[in-house]
Amino acid sequence: MATPVVVPPLGTNVDTGALVTWHKREGDSVTTGEPLFAVETDKAILDVEAPASGILRGVSASEGDEVPALSEIAWLCAEGETPTVQSSQQPVRQVHPVHPVHQPNSQAPVHRFASPWARTLARERELEWTILQGSGPMGAVLARDVEAARPSPRSPVTPLARRIAHETDADISRMTGTGHLGRITRDDVTSPNDPREPVETLALTGIRGRIAERMFRGAHETAPVTLTTEVDATSFVEARKCIVADGLRVTYNDMLLQVVSRALREHPRMNATYEGDRAVVRRETDIALAVDTDRGLLAPVVRGVQALALPEIAAATASIIERARNGQITPDELHGSTFTITNLGMFGIDAFTPIINVPECAILGVGRIKPTPWVVGDCIGIRQAMWLSLTFDHRLVDGGPAARFLHAVAQAIEGDR
Amino acid sequence: MATMGIAEALREGIREEMRRDPTVFCLGEDIGVKGGWGGAFTVTLGLVDEFGPERIMDTPISESGFCGIAIGAGVTGMRPIADVQYGDFLFCMMDQLANQAAKMTYMAGGAVKVPMVMRAPVGSTRRGAQHAQTLEVFFTHVPGLKVVAPSTAYDAKGLLKAAVRDDNPVLMFEHKLLYGSKGGRAEKGAISPVGEVPDEDYIVPIGKGAIRREGRDVTIVGKLLTVYRALAATDRLAEEGIEAEVIDPRTLIPLDKEMILESVRKTHRFVVVEEDNRTHGWGAEIAAMVAEEAFWWLDAPPVRVSAPDVPPPFAPGLEELYVPSVERVVEAVCRLVA
Repeated sequence: MATPVVVPPLGTNVDTGALVTWHKREGDSVTTGEPLFAVETDKAILDVEAPASGILRGVSASEGDEVPALSEIAWLCAEGETPTVQSSQQPVRQVHPVHPVHQPNSQAPVHRFASPWARTLARERELEWTILQGSGPMGAVLARDVEAARPSPRSPVTPLARRIAHETDADISRMTGTGHLGRITRDDVTSPNDPREPVETLALTGIRGRIAERMFRGAHETAPVTLTTEVDATSFVEARKCIVADGLRVTYNDMLLQVVSRALREHPRMNATYEGDRAVVRRETDIALAVDTDRGLLAPVVRGVQALALPEIAAATASIIERARNGQITPDELHGSTFTITNLGMFGIDAFTPIINVPECAILGVGRIKPTPWVVGDCIGIRQAMWLSLTFDHRLVDGGPAARFLHAVAQAIEGDR
Repeated sequence: MATMGIAEALREGIREEMRRDPTVFCLGEDIGVKGGWGGAFTVTLGLVDEFGPERIMDTPISESGFCGIAIGAGVTGMRPIADVQYGDFLFCMMDQLANQAAKMTYMAGGAVKVPMVMRAPVGSTRRGAQHAQTLEVFFTHVPGLKVVAPSTAYDAKGLLKAAVRDDNPVLMFEHKLLYGSKGGRAEKGAISPVGEVPDEDYIVPIGKGAIRREGRDVTIVGKLLTVYRALAATDRLAEEGIEAEVIDPRTLIPLDKEMILESVRKTHRFVVVEEDNRTHGWGAEIAAMVAEEAFWWLDAPPVRVSAPDVPPPFAPGLEELYVPSVERVVEAVCRLVA
């Protein structure tokens, strides 16, 4: 019998998510537990595993579509079988580029059941039980459903090893047994620190997977060139001191956003994105700011920077950074930038080669500001020096225009203009 | 080592305790009368010949009265074993048991002890509403009373000896169908839990359960007769590939919770089988305990197989429907495991 592929519950008060990608295509053969598709919520990208084995058929949602939680978007069929029920729901709604209108999910909430022991097992095995097909009364997920989806990873343990593990608080659940039939023995428990064993293995899924994919594309699908220059940021530092003394909370990043936005307006070819075979030059400077969060690197976007005064930039930046860090950032705020600034100054880094935030044309890496001997006229003085590293996509622009853009940024920071 | 039934095992236990300790004596209705049965179910048969009517004391038909005598004797240093002909008559002495025996030690701040045993036959045996009730749960609800319910000859003797030596009032419930299937007072439909009983002195500690059968798929808890119903059910379940674990708590108060919980943590399914009326019953308490303390190990709701909420019927056909049958246990387990 065909098994429906269901969008999992996406969280409290979350009706829909964006279908990011299908890992499998219509007609592909799929086995239980394989990643099937990825759906993005406002918090994360969730990889959904196949609830059963079979042939993927009746795919009714495409990448980029908005799909309601618990809607059926495809079927897993046996060989030669066609989906018995055509999905009557029309879950699919184009989000891009139509202006998003929030439509609450009109369906009644679907209650799902799982036995306590099934929940316990699912939790232990880090499996989301809500995506499983329950075989119990009222479709309740029982322990056997969890077992089928993710069999016990545990190796058998000798009684002595279990006792030692208990006494020493060793975690046997992640150990690999070396004894007879893979049993975890005393030796495994007492010397678990095999230097060849990885300390941990993390799946590159969710946000991490998204970062991996985008970074790979930035590094391998563009023609990156990095230009560096050292600038005298003394007056930049002084300017910030004055602004802060006036009671405004402004960071170097806020000031850099303004400087970069102005330079982009003068060098519009740098304010471009690569789309298909075209370089699409944008009028608005929507600048992304790389933010280091607990969940990984996020690049929330400050929109229309060219139209904002410095205090407005500061307010917008503070807001998106905070929401990026506490997980409240929405997918919209992470998309559609035209340029990116990444600042590693606070980590004591001088210069580096940033990876382009595809499909943008360029990214500016900012190093630390530090007192440096500097030639001033015929003398050597101490100035606040700062390195700038601009990586650009040579497919879209050449070295000359990129260098002129970087020079414009440098001049603005040095206060020559 | 001798082979005997529960009635004989109890008699041997009483005999040994009376020989061991001169403060131990029996009292009850028709327990020592010449030419009588030795109580309603032969447990004290012949003891009067060895110990005389002063230590095998026949009382008037006054349950409240002889219970009061037992309490008073216990408080003043004796160790009485009282015998109520039918457990149903315990209601006559409810004030003596629930208000006096159970509370005295508490009210006296531990200064007074009430060592006494009250033996009471229970269970449906074609005797109808006033002579066939299963009423242990009325007493498990009263703090201060210990309640035991042996289902084998070995446990009967061992628990009786432990009860005699306990400084608290202990109610001992015996199932009429388990006394034995032979002899003048054998009940129709009786099963014979005959077993080996050691000759030497031993006790079965109060508060310790027994696993009657090991299994991995479902835990069945029963007491007295329903232990045997559960065991009979496991044979049929095994044919279906279901391995049931059967637990006999043996002591109802204090309960061997850990044995039950440990079993549920292994099997993830739980059935309690009781001859008690369902509502607010013993099974309800055990199921609630399991739900509270082993919730995250349960793969299905706890299930009760109980008598319906009516008095035990007199009509044999109705009585068969009243007492949980092997079929009902099998059906409940199959539904749970399906």
